[in-house]
Amino acid sequence: MSGIALADAITKKPVRRVRRTPMLPRWALIGGAGVVALIGSYPYYGSNGYMLSLLGKFLCYAVFALSIDLIWGFTGILSLGQAVYFGVGAYFVAVSLKLNYTLTHPTRYGGKIPDFMEWNGLTAVPSFMAPLMSLPFAIVCALVVPTLLALLFGVITFKRHIYGVYCAVITLAESLILQDFIIEYQAYTGGFNGITDYSNYVGAAFLWFILGVTAVFFLTGRVLTHSRLGTVLKSIGDNDVRAEFMGYNVANYRIFVFCVSAFMAGAAGAMYAAWVGLVSFLDTGPVYSVEAVIWTAVGGRGTIIGPFVGAFLVKGAEFFLSGTLAEWWQILVGGLFIFVVLVLRDGIVGTIANWVRRRSAGSFRQIAQEADRKAHDRQRDWQAEGATRHGEEAR
Amino acid sequence: MALLLEVEGLTAKVSGYTILDSLDFSLEEGELRVLVGPNGAGKTTLMSMISGQFKPYAGAIRFAGQNITGWPPDAVFQSGISRKFQVPNVYETLSVFNNVMVSLKGRRKVFATLFQKLGGEEADRIWEILEFVELADKANESADTLSHGERQWLELGMLIASDPRLLLLDEPTTGMTEDDKRKTAELIRRIAQSHTVLLVEHDMHVVRQIARKVTVLHMGRRLAEGPLSEVMSDPMVREVYLGKGKFQ
Repeated sequence: MSGIALADAITKKPVRRVRRTPMLPRWALIGGAGVVALIGSYPYYGSNGYMLSLLGKFLCYAVFALSIDLIWGFTGILSLGQAVYFGVGAYFVAVSLKLNYTLTHPTRYGGKIPDFMEWNGLTAVPSFMAPLMSLPFAIVCALVVPTLLALLFGVITFKRHIYGVYCAVITLAESLILQDFIIEYQAYTGGFNGITDYSNYVGAAFLWFILGVTAVFFLTGRVLTHSRLGTVLKSIGDNDVRAEFMGYNVANYRIFVFCVSAFMAGAAGAMYAAWVGLVSFLDTGPVYSVEAVIWTAVGGRGTIIGPFVGAFLVKGAEFFLSGTLAEWWQILVGGLFIFVVLVLRDGIVGTIANWVRRRSAGSFRQIAQEADRKAHDRQRDWQAEGATRHGEEAR
Repeated sequence: MALLLEVEGLTAKVSGYTILDSLDFSLEEGELRVLVGPNGAGKTTLMSMISGQFKPYAGAIRFAGQNITGWPPDAVFQSGISRKFQVPNVYETLSVFNNVMVSLKGRRKVFATLFQKLGGEEADRIWEILEFVELADKANESADTLSHGERQWLELGMLIASDPRLLLLDEPTTGMTEDDKRKTAELIRRIAQSHTVLLVEHDMHVVRQIARKVTVLHMGRRLAEGPLSEVMSDPMVREVYLGKGKFQ
């Protein structure tokens, strides 16, 4: 070691202080409580039934977007089939509610089975669907089945070192398969028409329930990503080769976070079905998944609040503008996504966070540009590295 | 001293080409061995085989009494081998501190990391390492703000944090300025005082600064092995390095 460096080290003994953000900063606690209070008290100050129904829906969307953020924003797995898990959750609850509804409300031909079954020549509820008469059982299915599906998916893809674009394509295919399945087996799923016409749970009590579940999930997301596990997940998202050579079984981590996210998506779907009273094959489709990816990107991927902000902003704007801008709306959303990718790489929340963190470093625009440059560098490094991964080498 | 790493009859083929040709190679505990050889000699491939990136075509790799041939990278790591890549390979969006933290030796299972808290001892160890690689000042910066050389040092620090029995260092001085190279060589020399190190290095200045024993690879075979001065005066080695072999 040169003498100069040594002298430097002596005069400038570094301070051993780690900058750690608290699990729940005060502003987040106050802000979160404020949002919960604002939404939760709506039944008292608002009389608009439409607004009420939107609030419940948006909360479900926010949870769904959070589930995408956990895998995409924090771990770097882009899924274009996340709606599969949402849809499976939604269908379990919708079928259960429908079966129960027809017990007390016979169809117009007098049948005590759901109308779509009757149209398709069934005379009784098939035995494999009978257990769904029990709503608690259906709810358990709505949570467990998506998680198991995600586990299965993870084992057959992540364990075989399939990720990145391939993974996105496979999830997309998965989503299309489920849609085909739903349309094909219309006697059991309602086919094109979806499942509708059952007693749903709109009202203050269920709004609070959804709000509570949403709050718990967002807190869970925060705890998860703030833990050591969260740091490992981020490191895998950054550089999975390095993580693997540092002894982390990358596949297991991916599977874990994928299952957690599928569980949340399933729960969001279940609440959605109970709240809205209409579930169709569109709720399991790739278009819906991509929409949620956009909400996450707009809000800020890799932040916990981002998905919430994104879902409320984009979906909210859609509901208020699509009336006046009907056919232009989709183009607007697409344009918004392109804008975010080009200008606000880290989304709204991410960009604001960067700005607050290093206000001294420059203007809002400079910080956005810096994020852009970093994202660009990362992409280049990733391509340049070109390391062959275990399992795909020539033997 | 006991043999720590034993490579026996290791053969590697990539799309028909033989990169390593039944190579025998061994390393004693506590040794600092430098691997030299012209481009395409199979130096990096040997490291990839040992660290589990590639599966060998034939042959066996034994490490600390275990046959680790064909193990996946994370299992090889668990057995005590940490590898540094040629390109700096750090976690770009994590802070320098967190880069070292996730590399610390410890539990690697999913649920174990979920409930793991950073202990005071662990934090002290991280700071010690950061001070060793002279990055303590930048502990809170994200790794993508570091310069090329700093990233290489950070990765060295991450390897030390993982407390391996064997460090595989693949050209850690690539692309560095002369000053940075000297500093890196010094770091490696100090690491080697308490670790077994296998180093691939092109730069003869760096090799001279740290080498005790050198192995020369050529065309996937071991051409020579021994103390640096001895090996470098070997006419065959000189030939390979000066490229005369091609014209004879």
